This record gives sequence, C-alpha cells and structure tokens, in this order.
Amino acid sequence: MGDFNTDREQVFADVIRIMAETLEISQEEITADLNFNSDLPFDSLQLYEFVIDVEERYNIRLPDEVLDQVKTVSDIVDVIMKLKK
Amino acid sequence: MQSEEEQMSEALVRIFENVVLTEEKSLQAGYFNDLSIAEMHTLTAIGPYDARTMTNTAEDLGITTGTLTVAIDRLVKKGYVHRERDKRDKRIVRISLTHNGKLACRMNSKFHRVLAKHILAGYDEKDRKHLLDLVAEVDEYLAQQLRRYDSSENVRATARQVAKDTTKETK
Repeated sequence: MGDFNTDREQVFADVIRIMAETLEISQEEITADLNFNSDLPFDSLQLYEFVIDVEERYNIRLPDEVLDQVKTVSDIVDVIMKLKK
Repeated sequence: MQSEEEQMSEALVRIFENVVLTEEKSLQAGYFNDLSIAEMHTLTAIGPYDARTMTNTAEDLGITTGTLTVAIDRLVKKGYVHRERDKRDKRIVRISLTHNGKLACRMNSKFHRVLAKHILAGYDEKDRKHLLDLVAEVDEYLAQQLRRYDSSENVRATARQVAKDTTKETK
C-alpha cells in the first residue's frame, strides 16, 4: 500500500508539472480538486498538448472516450495509475 | 414538388460537400492552417499511436504507395510525420505522427465529435437512436456499393494481368 501511495504521489507531481508547463502557470496554483472545465484555463489545443505529453510520459492511451470521464486533476491521476501498469 | 429520390439524392450530396467544406474552413481558421484536408486525412489514417507501414496506410486511404510517398514527403517536411526504416527489415518503411501530428489529428477528431454532438443534441434519446440506426444503414449500403465497384475493378485488373501473362507465355 505504501508503494502505491508513493507511486501515486509521483504521478500527481508529474501531472502538476506537465500541466503547469502547458498552461504556463505556477505548480502551486494546481490542486487535486480543480476541475478541467471550470477551474483550469485549458483551451482545446492546450488540453491535447497536456494529454499527449502524459501519454508519451507513461506510454498509455487516453482517447476522448476516457477523457470524457475525467473531471478533476485527481481523476486524471487515477486514470493514469490504472493504465500505466 | 421534389420526389423522395430527388430530396434524398440532393441531401446526400449536400451533406458530403458541407462536411468537407466546414472541415476545410475550420482547418484554415485554426492552428493547423498549413495542412490541407487530404493531408489531415492522411494524419488520421496513420493515427496518434502505433507506427504504421506505408502499404497499410495507403490501403486504408485507397491510394497507391507512390501517391502516399509524395504526401508523406510533404508532411515530414512540415514536421507532422516521422518516417523510419524498420530495424529488422530495411525494405519496410514505418510512419508515425510527431507531437504536432498527434495534436493535429486529435484536434480534427474533436472537430468531428463536436459536429456530431451538435447534430444529435436536437433530438431526444429515442430519435437519436432511430437517427443513428438509419445513418448506419445508409453507411452500410454505400460501403457495399463501394466494395462492389472495388471488387469488379480488381476482377478486371486481374483478368487484364492474366491476359497479359498468357500473351507473354505464348510468344
């Protein structure tokens, strides 16, 4: 369980770093509960830039059908944890 | 008053033209205005994930590998496609999308999804299902027609090739 938590923390840190770079904002501004649609200033192009960076980082696929289920930063971390094995 | 056949036939042609025109205009107005529709469709055929062979991609697009090579040359220059020879079999060329290629491909899929979403939004669940069933039937009918022409063309091509080979043998 300890390993899972450490792993999740690392993925969370990666997600925040990639997101901050894409949106050109500070990492401190991003928290787990923020909503992709209402809280984060993504346009479609930035959203896909972020998604492709995450896909390449973890060698996973995040098609639109999967992204439709993702609402918050925490959700995307959960999806990555599930797919990256 | 128009007959049902005329209404259907005109609507089909208009739908096809308007989808292509809307896609073209959205491309010109967007981030990827250095891509033509044909080039965008080539990126879509390659897809955002695994590398593909030239032969399979050309087959999917219904074009020759020669035509695809010209298109890929341009897309490599524009920075949308990465091309490399297979490490084990040097005769095989594999193509995949660069980061920008993946971005263009996914933005284009999004365009199609949004278009479909807006069309479906005007109907309740029952009508949406009915509409999707009818569209699927039209789609299948047209695909069947295409296969019929493809196979008759193949049969003719094979017959021509056989005739040519036979002529050579008898000479």
